[in-house]
Amino acid sequence: MTDQPRHPAGVDTAWEGENHSDLAADFPTPDHIPHAATAHEPGVIETKDMDVFYGDFKAVADVTVSFARNEISALIGPSGCGKSTVLRSLNRMNDLIPSARVTGKVEYHGANIYDPGVDPVEIRRRIGMVFQKPNPFPKSIFDNVAWGAKINGFKGSKSDLGDLVEESLTQAALWDEVKDKLKDSGLSLSGGQQQRLCIARAIATQPDVVLMDEPASALDPIATLRIEELMLELKEQYSIIIVTHNMQQAARVSDKTAFFNVALDTKGQRTGYLVEFSPTQELFTSPREKATEDYITGRFG
Amino acid sequence: MSLTEQRSSPSRYFPSDDEYAGLLDKRSRRARVIQTVLLGALAVAVLALVTLLYTIINDSFGLVAQINANEPEDVVASFGYDPARVGLGDLTKDELVVALQGGIERNVGRRLEREQRFYADRLVFESQEKWDEVCARGDAPAGCDSAPRDHGNVLRLVEERIIKPDIVAATTLQASVTHPQAFKDSVRASFADNPERYEGYTYEQVRYKWRAWLSWQFVTSPSSSTPEIAGISTAILGSIWLVIITIAFAIPVGVGAAVYLEEFARPNRINDLIQTNINNLAGVPSIIYGILGLAVFVRVLEPVTSGSLFLDDPAPNGRTVLSAGLTLGLLTLPVVIISSQEALRAVPNSLRQAGMGLGATKWQTVRSHILPIAVPGILTGTILAVARAIGETAPLILVGAAGFITTSPSGPFSQFTALPIQIFQWTSLPQAEWQHLAAAASLTLLILLLTLNAGAVVLRNRYSRRSL
Repeated sequence: MTDQPRHPAGVDTAWEGENHSDLAADFPTPDHIPHAATAHEPGVIETKDMDVFYGDFKAVADVTVSFARNEISALIGPSGCGKSTVLRSLNRMNDLIPSARVTGKVEYHGANIYDPGVDPVEIRRRIGMVFQKPNPFPKSIFDNVAWGAKINGFKGSKSDLGDLVEESLTQAALWDEVKDKLKDSGLSLSGGQQQRLCIARAIATQPDVVLMDEPASALDPIATLRIEELMLELKEQYSIIIVTHNMQQAARVSDKTAFFNVALDTKGQRTGYLVEFSPTQELFTSPREKATEDYITGRFG
Repeated sequence: MSLTEQRSSPSRYFPSDDEYAGLLDKRSRRARVIQTVLLGALAVAVLALVTLLYTIINDSFGLVAQINANEPEDVVASFGYDPARVGLGDLTKDELVVALQGGIERNVGRRLEREQRFYADRLVFESQEKWDEVCARGDAPAGCDSAPRDHGNVLRLVEERIIKPDIVAATTLQASVTHPQAFKDSVRASFADNPERYEGYTYEQVRYKWRAWLSWQFVTSPSSSTPEIAGISTAILGSIWLVIITIAFAIPVGVGAAVYLEEFARPNRINDLIQTNINNLAGVPSIIYGILGLAVFVRVLEPVTSGSLFLDDPAPNGRTVLSAGLTLGLLTLPVVIISSQEALRAVPNSLRQAGMGLGATKWQTVRSHILPIAVPGILTGTILAVARAIGETAPLILVGAAGFITTSPSGPFSQFTALPIQIFQWTSLPQAEWQHLAAAASLTLLILLLTLNAGAVVLRNRYSRRSL
């Protein structure tokens, strides 16, 4: 799979269907989308006919997908196809953007997280997030990891908190590098270390799912490799959903891959939609859709 | 070989090498001209500041022509000391009291003693029977139960009542240094030409002295109707009280409003309207705030601002330091809000996302990560706003700062005056001495501002270090 041509970086040429006069015609009908999780094993997060709007602008249309437990699911697609938007809708981070609005359903263990009465704070604690650019707090390494636990009502003693910090940093493969300088600022670390610190911080609140938004795009190849190894270890305990621009990365780490594409409507608005969601092996070797094949062979994107 | 010659196919849209050299020269010249203009702008600003400082300092020090009713040397000599080695201030309190006894009318002394007695255990001007009788009355004077006058206090009385210095002419620092003789000649000529201006004095009595109008005595003495002994301790204390109340009001309210607007408020029409109004309020003339303060704090809230709601002996009306402080607080509020908003906006959004992504509430994120980073910026803006408030005169005149007051404010419910008010009062008096006093008071105000700003910088640097 690694022999797949890598799409040229920085080229933002979203593929446009041959006939984009009718938006609906470009969307695959629901039975085109294979449901990865079978009926007897529901996914940890399932979206049903999810649309995401920014104001009147429909950014993503009609996403129905099921992410399985203890797997790494990758979201790939050309720039502007809404994969990050989809990811941020899964733990209501989009709520921070005042104009953002989600319709349809996002079910977490069968309950719609957009139901009124659901507190997004609770959702974000269960579904943690790692961002594209490492964003440690300008505080000590220890406080970076401990803070999430503290605000979420960590009941243990001071030494328990220390244990939690050690455990989280160990899981994030950072402990050996920082154990002697836990009081140093998190900003004193290198980019790759900062990103692992952010992962340690996310798993210290003991979430169920970890969302990662291009977690390695700001890192060099070695740091990227470490993050990928880390993800493979973490999936034993967590369900991971990752957005990536790097198809090789998706191929290397993920169990299932969702390919998103963008369609233009008559007014020139770009709306993202899900093309297909399949086991990674299958998607990269025998894609069901022509668009997927064009994308992974580097014909566009 | 020039760079373009190396190119295989020079573009026809770019100038030729020769043209380019000329163009480059032109661009460099233009850059130099602009740089000079910018430097000129800076020079104008610096020049204005230097002129301001020069004017103030020039008036704050200099030669004076002074006539004493009694020379301090004579007073010292009357106790058998050598005037060359012993000054008036070196005399003991007992000696000063004796000098006072010999120099003032007995009834004047009685009045002074009733204001504040000289000794705790004996009376100087009053007989014991009369004293007991006066103190037994319902409206007993303050001296009956106050602490006795100390050495400095008696020294002041001696200077004020015995020496009675009268400054008949004064000049600036520059003139004193460069043409001291010209000043003396002008005083002599003035005596010769207009003897009626110096009634009771002859030129022979005139003594030329260096006088620092800004002196420790000036800073620590209360105001007086005699320019020679007038000071600004009352005004300084008034200004300090104002700053404290202004800060105590403007910072919590201003920062609170800024945090709400920046972090919690959703952009809708009402919040946009509020935002626009806050921006406009920052430009409202201070006199308008004075009118507001007069109407609201002095009149409507008089029970609160005069203290009659909580105190047994409240101020007679709402024209207290509390009213003025709240008015200045309102005046600074828009600037505090706007600068705090700027500081909050400068905090990267990634930190908000990081906090929220961990399952923190908005307030937890703001409290732990956003505010600490914004504090230095908030402090900078706030200090600038408060510094402006210290110099405000117009609103204080409206809310009733006292023009002449000799008792220092003792709390938020006191009558008060403030440095700019004092300066304003003095500059409007005709005699030249007051102008020098006003200059010295201005210098004091500048030093006070400088101290406040320095304190803010220290505080800000400490916070900047802590947040990283």
